[in-house]
Amino acid sequence: MKRRLISWLKSFFFWELFQGLRVTGRYFFARKFTIRFPEERTPKSPRYRGLHALRRYPNGEERCIACKLCEAVCPALAITIDSEEREDGTRRTTRYDIDLFKCVYCGFCEEACPVDAVVLTRFHDFHFEERGQQVIRKLDLLKLGDRFEEEIATDRQTESKYR
Amino acid sequence: MTDDIITIEIDGRTLQARKGQTVIQVADEAGIHIPRFCYHKKLSVAANCRMCLVEMEKAPKPVAACATPVMAGMKIKTRSEQAREAQKGVMEFLLINHPLDCPICDQGGECELQDLALGYGKDVSRFTEAKRVVFDEDIGPLVSTDMTRCIHCTRCVRFGEEIAGLRELGATGRGENMRIGTYVKKAMASELSGNVIDVCPVGALNNKPYRFSARTWELSQHAVISPHDCVGSNFYLHTLRGKVQRAVPRENEAINETWLADRDRFSCHGIYSEQRIAQPQLKERGKWRKVSWDEAIEVTVERLQSVIASRGSETIGALISPSATLEEHYLFQCLLRGIGSSNIDHRLQQCDFSHDETMPVAPWLGMDLNAVENLQAVLIVGGNPRKDQPLLGHRLRKAALRGAAIMYVNHRAYDLNHLAEQYLAATCDDLVIQLAAIAKALMQKTNRAVPDALQGLLEQVEVDEQQKTIAENLHKADRALVLIGSQASLSPLYSYIVALSHCIASLASVSFGTIHIGANATGACLAGALPHRKVAGTADEQPGLSAHKMLQSARRAYLLFNVEPELEAWDTATAHRAMHEAEAIIAISNFASPTMREYADILLPLASFAETDGTYINAEGRWQSFTAAAKIQDDAQPGWKILRLLADRLNVSDLAFNSAAAISKVLREQCRNVVLNNTVANIKLPQHDFSAHNRRLQRIADIPIYSTDAVVRRSLPLQQTIDGMEADKASIHPQTAAEYKLETSEYVSVTQNGNTIEFSLQLNEAIPEGCIWIGLGVPGTEALGPAFGDIEVSAS
Ligand code: SF4
Ligand code: SF4
Ligand code: SF4
Ligand code: FES
Repeated sequence: MKRRLISWLKSFFFWELFQGLRVTGRYFFARKFTIRFPEERTPKSPRYRGLHALRRYPNGEERCIACKLCEAVCPALAITIDSEEREDGTRRTTRYDIDLFKCVYCGFCEEACPVDAVVLTRFHDFHFEERGQQVIRKLDLLKLGDRFEEEIATDRQTESKYR
Repeated sequence: MTDDIITIEIDGRTLQARKGQTVIQVADEAGIHIPRFCYHKKLSVAANCRMCLVEMEKAPKPVAACATPVMAGMKIKTRSEQAREAQKGVMEFLLINHPLDCPICDQGGECELQDLALGYGKDVSRFTEAKRVVFDEDIGPLVSTDMTRCIHCTRCVRFGEEIAGLRELGATGRGENMRIGTYVKKAMASELSGNVIDVCPVGALNNKPYRFSARTWELSQHAVISPHDCVGSNFYLHTLRGKVQRAVPRENEAINETWLADRDRFSCHGIYSEQRIAQPQLKERGKWRKVSWDEAIEVTVERLQSVIASRGSETIGALISPSATLEEHYLFQCLLRGIGSSNIDHRLQQCDFSHDETMPVAPWLGMDLNAVENLQAVLIVGGNPRKDQPLLGHRLRKAALRGAAIMYVNHRAYDLNHLAEQYLAATCDDLVIQLAAIAKALMQKTNRAVPDALQGLLEQVEVDEQQKTIAENLHKADRALVLIGSQASLSPLYSYIVALSHCIASLASVSFGTIHIGANATGACLAGALPHRKVAGTADEQPGLSAHKMLQSARRAYLLFNVEPELEAWDTATAHRAMHEAEAIIAISNFASPTMREYADILLPLASFAETDGTYINAEGRWQSFTAAAKIQDDAQPGWKILRLLADRLNVSDLAFNSAAAISKVLREQCRNVVLNNTVANIKLPQHDFSAHNRRLQRIADIPIYSTDAVVRRSLPLQQTIDGMEADKASIHPQTAAEYKLETSEYVSVTQNGNTIEFSLQLNEAIPEGCIWIGLGVPGTEALGPAFGDIEVSAS
């Protein structure tokens, strides 16, 4: 009898509503976590493992020498490489595909690369619109490398003493 | 013998050893691994790398295991402190000048230096000076060089001297300045040159066509058998995602030892040629249309049936490659006989078939390959095993080095890599007369009778000193062989060659062997791919036409199984004409050349040797089966499946096999009682007047090493070798050239059968006077006539 009375009184005075509004009120004035993505971004570690890229040397020559060590080390079998002798006699890839659905972003490929060609950038907000687009090709990877080169280079510089 | 066995101790294990063995040999037999670079079990001991240093008790310093003969009671430690210290020291020195380019080196993953560096190398180099750089030489289309990587083990140099028999690579300079290079800057001309790739422990010498196309660890390895010659070399094809990348030898002491001929190693680069047929195709009003297999088979059956209905089944001719598998030969002949035609043959290059009935069941070497190296005398008639069957040539060379007398009777002199006597015969008549004289010399020596058929001929000939020497050599040897080489069958007097060679062998009481062109001629004969014989040599009551006859008296329809008659037939012009005039040409083939596209009506894509299961029987009579190594290209099908399907649609019964293995099992059963034997009894010889002298210029021919079959002809690296590039030149003796006013011309117009073709001309003293040599099977010779015969030349 007594319980029912309390319950009636509580609902009559919107007790639970105020309880909830108290939480709202507290967070209303508290420091905010939310950021306005994509205008605002959270800070990322230089070791962040996002989308892959292929780097070039400052003279514009691609770094990758088609040694296929990244392909061999990849635990998800995400990388596929074909290679050939380029006209100037150097060893180059004719195909460098990474299947981003298979990839587990472990970064082993970067660890394995003897010439720092394949790297994982801080870039992580990418999307696909069609089936098949998840396989990212050599040219796109090189473009990503060009786009983020500065950041990639400074990140590797800061981390070099720990490697 | 027991005195020769001694006991030694390695790493605490007591081992039995034979006197004269080295420590490393005993250790290898016992499975104890001693690191090494310069030691190779098939080469002499150089002991220059010092990697194999081991500790020997009571010796003040470590000793080289590869150069130390065993002694009774010797105690060796391969892993003691002192041994490890010495090995590590050697490794550090080796790595001083070795570049750190493993990631781009094709040897990476299968490199002896890499492997040993893992166990003996230091992780940080103490060497801070500049490393040595050596500039590379171009040593031909087969082997790539990165000489900075060389560790001077001299295995390649020793291979050149001891195995190839050519000093192609040599070391110049000493110490830091030592360089390995070709003495004369020219491509390696050996037919075994590819073996330096395996012999080289590092990546200094590598496979050029394969360069940078894959890494060793991602390849899958498939055991196959050589599809090019009757040695039947064992090798592996390495594939990446189903595509053949390269070939490496598979050790088999009884056949190819550890070696592989260049033809077997590099022919795989021909299978993905642009001329490969991707899909079944039909020609309709001169245009090719791609169709489904169902439609192609349906049309094929219709065409064959309409020819049979209107002209009879004997107007169908069928030619099959001698390098097709046993299963394919069997189904092919069953199919043809099933529809009533016995016009089946695999001997395209032959023109004299008069001894067919008396010929042995199948060609046979007459002995094991191993036995060849212990022979004391060999007479080779019509052939140059060095180029025709390179690993048989290697065995012959071994015999020669052991002092055997090797003698050749040929239409031209060949570049040999061992001591031998070469006797030349300018014309086919002349070759037969020489053989007859040898037989006569032997007859006089042994007082034995000769077959009646030969008596008349033997009476006509006179014996000179040369022939007496040959007879003497054969007669006095305990172990000798008379071998009919694979080029002999090109002669229009082949039956005489067979009869006389057999006669010589039996007069001298020595072994007699015959080898043929192609990987499976022995199998083809056993499977019945012959016009006059069925499976296991049983006679066909209604013999058909031989290859040459069915091209001469043109048939209405031809079924071609992986052959290009316009290149491979004895008389190419006649073959070419027969192809053009026929109503229907059905080509089951790997490739279609533009010429084939002109005359063929139906193209059925065939799986290449790497993509099919099958069996080859080699010259020793050894059955070797293999399974498909690579994924089939496009829409091709294995030969046995195509033939089975055709048989099914043509209502030929009993061929419903479900695997290649099932076919060879049936064949084995049928051939159970066949014993290979070369005895030729009651030979029938055609009439021939040996006294007539033909004074006109003669064409002579053989099949050059890289023109033997369709795949080899399409392997670019092989065609770019010296042998490949010389194949399409006409060769003539300088004296004869002068006679025909050709000595200054670079090109020559050659006329045969009224057709004129231009060739580039080479003056060559190896060709007898009065002849011009033009190869058979060489693209560009389609319009030319017979391999042997009258020919006209003029400068152009
Ligand atoms: S990040 Fe890991 S899973 Fe992804 S490609 Fe590299 S190695 Fe493979
Ligand atoms: S990205 Fe690096 S590891 Fe991968 S193939 Fe290229 S060079 Fe080798
Ligand atoms: S090239 Fe190779 S086989 Fe020849 S000496 Fe150098 S390391 Fe040895
Ligand atoms: S292997 Fe013994 S010294 Fe080279």
